[in-house]
Amino acid sequence: MIWEVFRQEEAGGYHTHCGNVHAPDAEMAKLFAQIQHGRRKPTHSIWVVPQASVHEVDDEDTAFGGTTDKAYRWAMTYDTDASFAQEIADSEEEQAAAERQRGRR
Amino acid sequence: MDVETVTERAGPRQFSPRDDMPREYREAATRMIQFHANSEIMGAYLEKPFIRQAPSLERKLAFSAKVQDEIGHGQLLYRAAETLGVKTREEMLDDLAEGEGKFLNCFHYPMESWVETPMIAFFVDGAAMRRQATLKRTSWEPYAHAMDKVCFEEGFHVKHGEHILAELATGSRKEQALLQDAFEEWWPRIIQFFGPTNDRSTHHDFSAAVGLKTMTNDELRNAFLNAYIPKAEKYGLEIPEYPRLEKQDDGTYHVREDDLDWEEFFTVAKNEDDGGIHQIDSRRAAQEAVDWVRTSMEEFGGGQAPQAAD
Repeated sequence: MIWEVFRQEEAGGYHTHCGNVHAPDAEMAKLFAQIQHGRRKPTHSIWVVPQASVHEVDDEDTAFGGTTDKAYRWAMTYDTDASFAQEIADSEEEQAAAERQRGRR
Repeated sequence: MDVETVTERAGPRQFSPRDDMPREYREAATRMIQFHANSEIMGAYLEKPFIRQAPSLERKLAFSAKVQDEIGHGQLLYRAAETLGVKTREEMLDDLAEGEGKFLNCFHYPMESWVETPMIAFFVDGAAMRRQATLKRTSWEPYAHAMDKVCFEEGFHVKHGEHILAELATGSRKEQALLQDAFEEWWPRIIQFFGPTNDRSTHHDFSAAVGLKTMTNDELRNAFLNAYIPKAEKYGLEIPEYPRLEKQDDGTYHVREDDLDWEEFFTVAKNEDDGGIHQIDSRRAAQEAVDWVRTSMEEFGGGQAPQAAD
């Protein structure tokens, strides 16, 4: 049986996928995951999930974000000054970074 | 964990559903997150009619995207609230329909014309954004995670709101005059967004001690005023004389509490105002009208995968 492993680096962070392990049950999967994925990189917590419980939809199945131009959804589209409030500037920067990543593929 | 331990350990994203939290913490966090979730939903319903009234196709698209985002924020927050194990999402939605669920003062007032939209989309959303940015450091981890996504999206809302404001402020004389009228009407409510001044705030002490709130009403109001008063002035809006806001040497503002109508504020807070009752009833009607969708999903769940809305 294969178990997908999600590692959280520090308390309060997100569990992100980092690999998988073979194990007959959840207890053994937790043990193997600790050894394979929690030993060298900083780790606060690990989740193990049976592979069969993971359901997938990928970019062949669907067009993530739709197929039309949705520039109106992005902060960068509006030419107002965001620097007056740190939180607005931060949000715009996160959106700009996401848009750059989307364009990279 | 007892309250004393929670207070000692309190810090950003410190507690999660894996921790055994005391009843006091779970109830305080539920009250706070449920209020936040309700406000997202009620704000979306207040803005929804303006998808139709938007003056151009671009505005219509952006406004509908924004309303969709706000409903999504409500859903994220009900999920975060559910993780405390006090109330289910259904119970919270029913609370809202029955008038038990409390929500932000600004969303109790009717919004009748397009010139009012930036009052919500720029000033109220800007005020909310200021507060939400501080909640990324709240002690309840699922709430902080919801804030990560909400703050990511919200920058678009505030910039779009400012874009509408800029357009109206440089429009015809009539538009400028109507904008000023709307601003004068909404300004006191926007100041009251942050609640009473610290000395009169009721829930702050416990929430701050256990790390749910990270800034006081006064700190948030000051940060908001310092950023948004210059913006209002930039667009030629005149700040109303009342409520009197006295700028101190340290850059903070002293609000003359007596210039604000607190009787109205607390009537609104209890959902006893006509505007709020109307908003609650019209949302309940919408909830009932789509009851068949929820029933069908429960009865026929597990069928063909639905298409994600984009």
